[in-house]
Formats: sequence, structure tokens, C-alpha cells
Amino acid sequence: MTLYLLKRLAVLIASTAAAAVVVFAFMALLPGDPAEIALGVNATPEAVAELRRQFGTDRPPLTQFLDWAGGLLQGDFGISYVTSSPIGPQISDRLGVTAVLVLGGMVVALVLAVPAGTFAAVHHRNPLGAAISAFSQVGIAVPAFLAGILLVFVFAVQAQALPSGGYVPISESPGEWLRSLLLPWLSLGLVQGAVLTRYVRSAVLDVMREDYLRTARAKGRGATGALWRHGLRNASIPVVTVLGLQLATLLIGAVVVERVFVIPGLGDLLLNGVAGRDLLLVQGVVMVLVAAVLLINFVVDVAYHLLDPRLR
Amino acid sequence: MRRIGIWLAAGGLLLATAACGGGGGGGGDTGGSAAQSLSVGFVAEPANLDFTSTEGAAIPQALLVNVYEGLVKLDQDGKIVPLLAEKWDVSDDRKTYTFTLRKGVKFSSGAPFTADDVVFSLDRVKTDWKLKIKSQLDVIDDVEKKDDSTAVVTLKRPSNGFLYAMATRLGAMFSRTGVDDLANKPVGTGPYVLGAWRRGDSIRLDANPSYWGTKPALSSITLKYFKDATAMNNALLTGGIDVISSVQAPESLQQFADPNRFETVEGTTNGEVVLSMNNGRPPFDDKKVRQAVRHAIDHKALLDTAWAGRGQLIGSMVPPTDPWYEDRTGDYPYDPAKAKQLLGGKTYNVKMRIPNLPYAVSSAQVVKSQLAQVGINAEIEPLEFPARWLDQVFTKGDYDLSIINHVEPRDMGIFADKSYYFRYDNPEFGKLLASADEGTEQQQIDDLKKAAKLLSDDAAADFLFLFPNLIVAKKGVTGLPKNAISESFDFTALSRQQ
Amino acid sequence: MRGRLNAGLLVGGTLVGLVTLAALVSFFWTPHDPTLVDAAQKLREPGGGYLLGADKFGRDTFSQLMVGARTTLYVGIVAVGIAAALGIPLGMIAGMTPRGWLSELIMRVNDLVFAFPALLLAVMLGAVYGPGTLTAMIAIGVATVPAFARVARAATLQVMVTDYVLAARAAGRRRPAIALRHVLPNIGSVLIVQASVSFAIAILAEAALSFLGFGTRPPTPSWGRMLQESQELLFSTPRLALWPGLAIALAVLGFNLLGDGLRDFLDPKLRRIRAER
Repeated sequence: MTLYLLKRLAVLIASTAAAAVVVFAFMALLPGDPAEIALGVNATPEAVAELRRQFGTDRPPLTQFLDWAGGLLQGDFGISYVTSSPIGPQISDRLGVTAVLVLGGMVVALVLAVPAGTFAAVHHRNPLGAAISAFSQVGIAVPAFLAGILLVFVFAVQAQALPSGGYVPISESPGEWLRSLLLPWLSLGLVQGAVLTRYVRSAVLDVMREDYLRTARAKGRGATGALWRHGLRNASIPVVTVLGLQLATLLIGAVVVERVFVIPGLGDLLLNGVAGRDLLLVQGVVMVLVAAVLLINFVVDVAYHLLDPRLR
Repeated sequence: MRRIGIWLAAGGLLLATAACGGGGGGGGDTGGSAAQSLSVGFVAEPANLDFTSTEGAAIPQALLVNVYEGLVKLDQDGKIVPLLAEKWDVSDDRKTYTFTLRKGVKFSSGAPFTADDVVFSLDRVKTDWKLKIKSQLDVIDDVEKKDDSTAVVTLKRPSNGFLYAMATRLGAMFSRTGVDDLANKPVGTGPYVLGAWRRGDSIRLDANPSYWGTKPALSSITLKYFKDATAMNNALLTGGIDVISSVQAPESLQQFADPNRFETVEGTTNGEVVLSMNNGRPPFDDKKVRQAVRHAIDHKALLDTAWAGRGQLIGSMVPPTDPWYEDRTGDYPYDPAKAKQLLGGKTYNVKMRIPNLPYAVSSAQVVKSQLAQVGINAEIEPLEFPARWLDQVFTKGDYDLSIINHVEPRDMGIFADKSYYFRYDNPEFGKLLASADEGTEQQQIDDLKKAAKLLSDDAAADFLFLFPNLIVAKKGVTGLPKNAISESFDFTALSRQQ
Repeated sequence: MRGRLNAGLLVGGTLVGLVTLAALVSFFWTPHDPTLVDAAQKLREPGGGYLLGADKFGRDTFSQLMVGARTTLYVGIVAVGIAAALGIPLGMIAGMTPRGWLSELIMRVNDLVFAFPALLLAVMLGAVYGPGTLTAMIAIGVATVPAFARVARAATLQVMVTDYVLAARAAGRRRPAIALRHVLPNIGSVLIVQASVSFAIAILAEAALSFLGFGTRPPTPSWGRMLQESQELLFSTPRLALWPGLAIALAVLGFNLLGDGLRDFLDPKLRRIRAER
């Protein structure tokens, strides 16, 4: 296990380094010199050269990369060309918001999917189980932003029960914080819950076909009880994998929900950066998103190894 | 049974939290003392707070008159009125302006405002400003301090535009000790100071306790930024904000029809929504092709479909609030047959590079459909606004057609600059503008009328419509500016009735 | 079990068939020009040649939906095509040389590409080349490569230990020949299922991108953009949002059901290798 962990850790570090190279190279492709963009049409060549020197974009690409990557290791993302403020704190603020949004959404998804999927599996032959399956298919087919728009319409505009958007930091008012996040959590959670329900169902179905469970049932114990005692760990393996996949895609995927609910998250910061040609900011946000996905994959792989006795 | 329990718990949580917040939203506008504050929804968030080096209307909109003040300002009718100057005297040759400054004015940093700051601020336009519009003050020859409360500005030649430019952001007064971090820490003399800036979300302006003039009725104003028009509408419907500063989805106005809850203010702006044509390269270097475009567009239908019929058809680059306004919509009546004839049966493929803003995306689809009828196939390419559009269209001039709302006041002069992205080049036009600037008030009006007609005749661009000032507010909010004819959204008169 | 028609296959096939039919017919005929602005028909109620009414530009909703189906299929086909063309060979190579350095490299690069989700890639590509259908398709396609590679690898690993492959290897057949003759036909059904599921995801991704303004350019009809444009009229004219919303949901549902149905229909044994979302 230790050996596996070390090996997997080495892969994580190597991948992250490779990702940094890819991200940096990609941003170098972007047309437009930041200094020229910042100075506009009337800029003199001297002014542009001076600003390039200030930004450090006059140095060779390799030096720039090493400088940037070195800064990243110390949590320094540089200073934005456009807002002339440090990028790191902005990213960490936004990452915090997106993390709360995505994790809350996943909790909602789990709370819905585990019971619903298990029920649908145990009762897969009766109409209620089939109905849950069918319902989850429909849920998967609804885009998250459409779910968000509908939730706003019903709960905010019609019922006037919850705010239609905006985000209140928990430090300002815990109650308002919760209220501002309920609908976004629901719109992510409902859709992701539908996806998850199907995986839970088929994982539980697979486990139920295993011999030890049949034996347990033959001994006269209830199916649910046997499942609870023996099947949970086995059924959780594919579910954990899917959970990781969902988390990974949601970090950026949540941007549509951030747009609908006016939540200042990481995806929103990325879109602003792109619109404002804040290249260093875009570079930083992309790097954080990619590194987060790599980290999630790492955790999932390790969890996989811990859960699956055959792999230990 | 357990599963049903979970559902109930989730539902209960929803109801409980919904109940504890009462009717208010995220704007924090409930309760007694909070009545002193107001939150206003805006579309574009400033990239930073430095309007001396960063383009974009969002910065002066938030800060000018509210945080920064000039010697003069524009009132609601477009008249120039005193602000930091009590009065000003103009010499007989109209080249020397003597400003008598208000006494006892302090910057929010505590530093007193004197004639030294006037010299400093106006010199700084020349030395440090990076915006194209700074050329409007090129006419200044010299700025001098006579005494602490008297500043004298000498011009190279008489100019009608000078005082007007002084009412824009160019005339904003900065403290000699307050320009170190303009991007984040504005220091002005205005009734409000920067309270807090939650990037990507909102800017809070707090009342300036040491303001020299009438203290504002509100203790704070929150400018909340929305990229999505629908999200902004929803925020007003649910109490998240109190005012929509500029409606971006005019079709949705009937949501706010209930007079017991909302009030709609409709006025005019300085914003000419222009269909720009690149005069500098084929096919729009050919006047006939440009004229064909103007005949091919059914402006009434465009306004009705693209912007719900709100706004006004003007036909040239002059808004009705300027003294030299004339209705020029008759110059090129909708006439597809005439357009085809002007094109001589030829067809064209052109690129329409537009900013990805609601009015532009809407208008572009109508323009495309109407141009297709006469044989011009325009491919729409939405570019992110501001940066990408500014870079490709505005700076590099790499476009055939574009659509943009030119919001700067009295901005017809941009056509006189042939390096401007229109690439319009007619020396006659430049001469008219120069003589208008130097001449008497009446001559200014006459010349600018001629200039507007020339612009229209030359089909230098097509003028789609005048952008409406559409404000929706909760009932009881007073002091909203009916017309948006300056660069700023003036908060000073804003208050809320109980 | 093999070959038995099931409900999923029938419903999914019907929905996908309808979308395809609408798209194909739209090449030859739509009731109206879907991009023609006609102020006289602004927000026209359904009826009289306008089956589902018209939008604020007076454009016929039904015609727009038909051409929108074309955009949807176009994005799906190209995106899935890119993903399959790159992902399947890579996955097969990795599966046929499970202990080799090449396999290791492929799967590591695969994990790296996986760290760039479709939306992120589309925003990045959009920043360089400008948003549009093509950038959206490429972004979605590249981001889907890892899913195909993983499924192809897993299926290949299973096929490689079957008797006939072992026999072929013993007989000295070269790897490319084995890949073409034995592996590909046997993993085909899994890949078809994967294609169907990926198609559904591509549709959702395109809708999300259009919603953000990074997708199909106006005025080309796209269901995602129709939905986005109809937002301001959600209160007064909800049908404008209803139809494109329904179209997206039904198309996604169709492709998902088709995928599930095909899996059961083609080869129940391969159920263990699940399509990757």
C-alpha cells in the first residue's frame, strides 16, 4: 500500500508539472501583447517596452515560466495586468465559494441518490423502483442551468421565499449565507443526484447478484440487512469513482449555475478574466482548476485501493 | 419510511431558512437602520477603479460626481453648473478661464482641496492619462495657481468644448497625495467614499462624513453587478436590489408593471447605437455600398424587435438633448429596392464583429436578416466585451461591420479622427468641427448641424437608434436621474421614502 | 437475452430518430426561414402556419427547432467522432500492451487530458480562436477522448484473455491483425454504447456553452441559445423557453436510453464495463 501511495504521489506531481507546462504554453498562444492591450491605441513604443519590463513579459518564455511556476509553489500567482492587484487572494476567495457550492450540491446529490438508488435496486422488479429509474433518466436529461432557472422562478419569484441570486459570505450573516446557497445547491444536487442514482442502483444490483449476498438471503436474513452488512463496501467502489468524476467536472461545470444565481465563484472569475484579457489571471484560474481535478483523481484512486480488498 | 423522512427534513430546512429571512433578499435592505442604504444593479463591473488609465464606462459611472468631483458638472438638462468652482469668468478673447474655487473643501484623505490640486490634476491628464479621450483637453495651453482658491486655465484657442470636457471624467480633481493606488483606492472630494469592493459582486459606497456640501440622504449605496439581464430582473423582483440602473432585457418590463410595487423611469441617454462600417477597406470604402446599407435597414422594425420599441430613432450622431439636434431619420428611408440598385446587383460577404452585449447581439440578428434581403451576407461574430472587441475592432480596426453603443457625451468628434476605428476621412467634417469649437454659441450650433448632416449624407455609419434610459425601481425610491446624459450615475439625490 | 428488443431501445430509438428526421428534413424544408426577422410576426401566438408561434424577432419557433436539431446532431457527431477517432486506438493500444511503457504513457496523458473538462477547454479555445460551434465541438471532442480510451482499454483487456485471442497469439499473428480481426469487433458494442452516452453529454455541453455565449453564434439556431434568448420572456411568453428546453431534455433522454438499450440488446455480458460519463 505504501509503495502504491508513493508511486501514485509521484504520478500526481509529474502530472501537475506537465499540466503547468501545458497551461503556460497555451496562454502563450493567446493573441495580443498584455502591455499593448493595457496601454491602448495611442501608446508609444517606449511606453509599451517599459510596461513589458514591468510585467516581465520581455524576458524569454522559459524564464517567465520558471518564475511563474516557482511563484505557484509558494502560493504566489503574480499581479494582474488589468486590475493591478494580487491574483492569489482572488483565486482563493473564489475557490472557497465554488468549493462550498459544489460540495453542498454533491451532499444534496448523495442524500437523494443513495436511498433512491438503493430502493430502486432492491425493488427493481416492482413499479416504484422502475419509476425511480425512469425519473432519474429524466433528471439526467435536464441541463443544470435550466433546473436553476426553474427553481428561481418557483421559489424566488413566485413564492418569494428565497433570494433569486447573490452570495452572502458566511462571516456577514450565516442565515443569509445559507439562504443564498439553497437554490444553487438544489439545482446542482438534483441533476447530479439523478446521475448518481443510476450508478448507485446498478452498483447495488451487481452486489445483490454476488454469492455471499445470496447466501445471506438464503439464510433467511432480510435483503436490506444483508446489504447493509456485506454489500455496502463493495457497492461503494464504483459510486466513489463516479463521485470523483462528478466533483472534477463540477468545479468548472458549476459556472452555469454561478451565472444563473450571480455567485462569485471560480468559473465566474475565469469568464471575467477571459472577457477582460486578464491573461495571468486566466492562467492562474485554469491551473488551479486542473490541479484540483488531478488531486481529486488521486484521492479517488487511493480510496479505490482502500475500499477494494482485492487491490490491497 | 427513512427515505420519506429525509425528504421531509430537506423540505423543512428549506422552509425554515426561507421563513427566518422574512421578505428581504441578499441586499440587506430590511430593518430600520438599513432603510438608509440602497442597492442598485449595474451591468458591467469596473476592471479597476482607475479611469485615468483604463477604458470602460463602468468606472466613471460609479465614481464621477459620487466620489470624484470636477470644477463643474452637468445637470439633468445637460447644462454646465458649478461644483468645486463657485464660479468662473471667461476672458473676452474666450481663451482664459478663471475658476474661483469653493473654500473649505477637503479630500476624503483629509487633505484640503486648493488651486494646487487643480494644476496637478489638469497637468496629470497630459502626462499620466492613457485614454484616447484625453485629447479633448489638448486645447489647454497652461494651468496656473493665482492663489489658493483661484486657478487660471489658458487655452491655445477659443473652445466651446473645453468647459464641457471639464464636466466629464477629464475634469475630475485628484489629490496630490491620493494617486498612488488609483486602481484600488480612489481619493476624491465627493459625497461618497469607497466603502468596500467585493470583486465580481459589488462595490459599496459610504457617505463621506466630511463632505463640504449637502450630506447625501443615504448612508451607503451598494452597486451590484450582474452579467445576466434576467438575474438582475429577478433580483429586483425578489428584493435583492432596489433599482435596476439600466434595463438590459426590455421585453421583460411588463414584469414590473404593478404600480404598487415598482416604478419605471424612461428617459434618454447620450448613447447612439451605431452600426459602424469600416470606411477604410472594401466593400465599405465605397460610399454607394454604405448608402445601400442605410437604405436596407428598417429602423423601426429593428427597434421594435431588438429592443422592444424602447428608444428613439435619430438618424445621426446627435442625441435630442444636444442643442444642435435635428431629426435625420428621413435621410435614408427604408427602401430595399433602392439599396439593391445602389449595389448594382452585386453581392458581398462581410464580417460583423460585435461585442457580446444584449443590445448588440439582438440588433445584429435583425441587421443580418435585413442586409441579406439586399444581397449583403454578414457573418456575425460576437467578441467578448470589453477586451476582445476593443482589441480587434476598436484598436486594430479589423472588421467590416460592428454595432456598439457610443455612450460618451457629445462624441460626434470621434468621426473627425481618421485613425478612429470608423476610418472615416472627410476633411470637410473636421473643418466644421474645428470652426464649431472656436466659434460663438450660435455658430457652434449651426456648424454642428451641418456636420451631423454631412455624416449622415456620407453614410459614414448607420445610426440604429438612441439607447433609452430605462430605470426600474422599487416604489418609494426617489431622486433617480431621468436622463443619463453624463458619464456618471449621479447618486447624490437618491433617497428612499418610508 | 441477446437481440431482445427492450423499452429503452424502443423509446430511445424513437426519440433519436425524431431528432434525426427533423434535422434531415430541415435541409430541404422548414415552414419558414428560421433566421428571417419579421416584425409583423413578433411574439405571434401558435397557429396559422406558425405551429409553435414566433419569437421576439418574429422567427418561427418550429423552424428554429428543426434547424436547431441539425446543430445539435452536428456538434454531437463531430465531438463524438473526434473522441472516438483518438480515444479508441489509444485505448486499444494501451489494452493490448498492458505492462508496456506505451500503455503507461497513454494512460497518464489520458489522465492529464481528463483534467481539462469540456467547458474549461471551450472557454480556453474560445479565448484564442473566438467562440463558435467549431471551437465548442473540438473542445467537447477532446475532453471526451479519455472516456473512450478508458472504456476501449478496459474492454480490450477483457478480450485479450479470451481463448480465441490467446490462440491467435499462439499462432503468431501480429498485433495489428489481432486488433482488427479480433479485438475491434468484440469491443464494438461497448463503444457504441459509449458513443451514445457521450452524444448525450455533448448535447448538454453545447447547451451550457451556448447559454454562456461560448457556443453557436447567432443567428444560427441552437437549442441552447434559444433557451438563453427566451429568458427575458420567461414570464410573459414561457412557451419560448419550454420548447427548446423540452427538445434538449428529450434528445438527451433519447441518447441515454438508446445507449442503455443497446447495451442490453447487443451484449449483456459486457454490462460490467460501464460507459464513462
